[in-house]
Amino acid sequence: MTMAGHDEGGLRRVRVYGMLIALLGIMMFPFYAMFSSTFKPESEIFSAPATLVPSQLSLGAYVDVWTQTDVLLWIANSFVISLGTVVLTLLLAIPAAYSCARNDFVGKRTFLLAVLVVQMFAPVVLIVGLFDVISRLGLFNTYLAVIVPAAAFTLPFNIWMLYGYFKTVPVELEESARIDGASQLQVLTKIVLPLTKPALVASITYTFLYAWNRLLFVLTFLTDSGKYNIPRGVFSMVGALQTDWRMMLTVSVIGIIPLLVLFAFLEQYIVAGMTAGAVKE
Amino acid sequence: MSLAEEHTQTGGDSRLSQSAAHVKRNRRAYLLIAPAALFLVAVVGYPILETFRLSLYRSPADSTIETFVGLQHYVDILNSDIFYRLLWQTGRWVAVGVAGKTLLGLLIAVHLKGDIRGRKFFRTAFLIPWGIPYAISAVVFRWIEHPQFGYLNAILLKLGVIEQGIGILGNPDIAWLGVVVADIWIGTPFMAIIFLAGLQSIPQDLYEAAAIDGAERWHQFRYITLPQLKSVILMATLLSTIWTFVSFDTIWTMTGGGPISTTATLVIHIYQVGLQNGHLGLGAAYSVIGFLLLLLFAIVYLRVYTRGGEEL
Repeated sequence: MTMAGHDEGGLRRVRVYGMLIALLGIMMFPFYAMFSSTFKPESEIFSAPATLVPSQLSLGAYVDVWTQTDVLLWIANSFVISLGTVVLTLLLAIPAAYSCARNDFVGKRTFLLAVLVVQMFAPVVLIVGLFDVISRLGLFNTYLAVIVPAAAFTLPFNIWMLYGYFKTVPVELEESARIDGASQLQVLTKIVLPLTKPALVASITYTFLYAWNRLLFVLTFLTDSGKYNIPRGVFSMVGALQTDWRMMLTVSVIGIIPLLVLFAFLEQYIVAGMTAGAVKE
Repeated sequence: MSLAEEHTQTGGDSRLSQSAAHVKRNRRAYLLIAPAALFLVAVVGYPILETFRLSLYRSPADSTIETFVGLQHYVDILNSDIFYRLLWQTGRWVAVGVAGKTLLGLLIAVHLKGDIRGRKFFRTAFLIPWGIPYAISAVVFRWIEHPQFGYLNAILLKLGVIEQGIGILGNPDIAWLGVVVADIWIGTPFMAIIFLAGLQSIPQDLYEAAAIDGAERWHQFRYITLPQLKSVILMATLLSTIWTFVSFDTIWTMTGGGPISTTATLVIHIYQVGLQNGHLGLGAAYSVIGFLLLLLFAIVYLRVYTRGGEEL
């Protein structure tokens, strides 16, 4: 009986890992298609039917992308947009979340609910009205034309995320620091923020990714190709009359490398941020 | 952490003894939320009102003069065949997309739940599709589905499923399936991660008791896992419905709404009419209809969220 149970456990393990590897294979296949294509020699990538494994490895596509496209500029622009969005979002979200966590005031519930509703108003259904706002503010073709809406749409997540974490910091800690003569700003920066580091990292990662990945705002508000980010750059290569798949896939690979690095180091924070809203403990 | 956790301060008591210090504290509380609140009013609130206003005007692409037309755009939309076709196309896009993400996400989550070696590796790997630009995922799927050089055709040919390459994205009957596959791939990781977190909060002794009773695995899933996971599934599918409904980058990059508008959803049409063709008024009217649908989802979401006496 115990032997049978043991065998059953072993069989179950094999099945679980087999299933996981199969699922992983499916989910990783597009990456394989992308990466393997970029290492094929030019003649092979445009041969039909496609070879599933490159017959020889070539770095030619990477050399060509480096010398013939603006990939570096696009990455630099992506960084400017992402970092700008992170800074603006945190400057707005931290005080608001802290205020809600520490004070009880008329309209707090309304504010927090309204913020939640903003999360539902996806940018694309607002795009016609946003277009009007951006043009009235004279922001067309400036980085702010992308940073401002990106900050608005990441603000809800950030406020809720930080609000939840700030509440977990014991008030007594802050009060004793206040008695010792610390200003409220000092209390926030020296005590509260260090204690809520995981939430901050999750916030920053989420906001950074959001701004890095979005096409819509750049597509709509930046016509100056010198300010394109990575998604817009890739998009501009599809839009061309004859899509150069080889170059485009190579730019795509380069464009996601910073994200893969981010994921490798910050996976647990990303997961913490994703699950914060949807799972009640 | 719970977003719906109730706050413990007592508003009623403090209002009775409104000391000067309390008033000052309150003023500071408002001052701290003011920047975020004003920013949201300006960047989200104002465009909402502006969209409503614009929807009552005709503003042709070649002119800056707006003419007030009242509800004419709405009448036109509701009397047009395009609108009902868009609703149908949006409906199937959301239904198939959300179903696919939910099922695949569940499948991944239940297999990651147990005592898995290298769970962190698997979790990171499964998460990646969620975190890269939709535009990049979209071009990769376009490449996979490429009629001549694509990997999908190469595999299908090798397996003998097809005799010659097929062009999925150029075929009006199946192009939307070619796009929905990419969308499912992008949206599955979120579901998997959320479900995994939900699964891990189910008390283990429920399963132990069931195992003693000799319940089969399917029965355990059906009578323990699913009921315990119900609220998480509800929340995640609602969020997913909203995100799938408004997804733009993927469709726009893969097909631009074509061929012959068969992959267009309501939001794709908003962009085409309002910004590409410059008919801000008509585009705004479509947006308002989009708002109303989103609002419907949002109300359901908030009701589920705050249900059971839980306060914010």
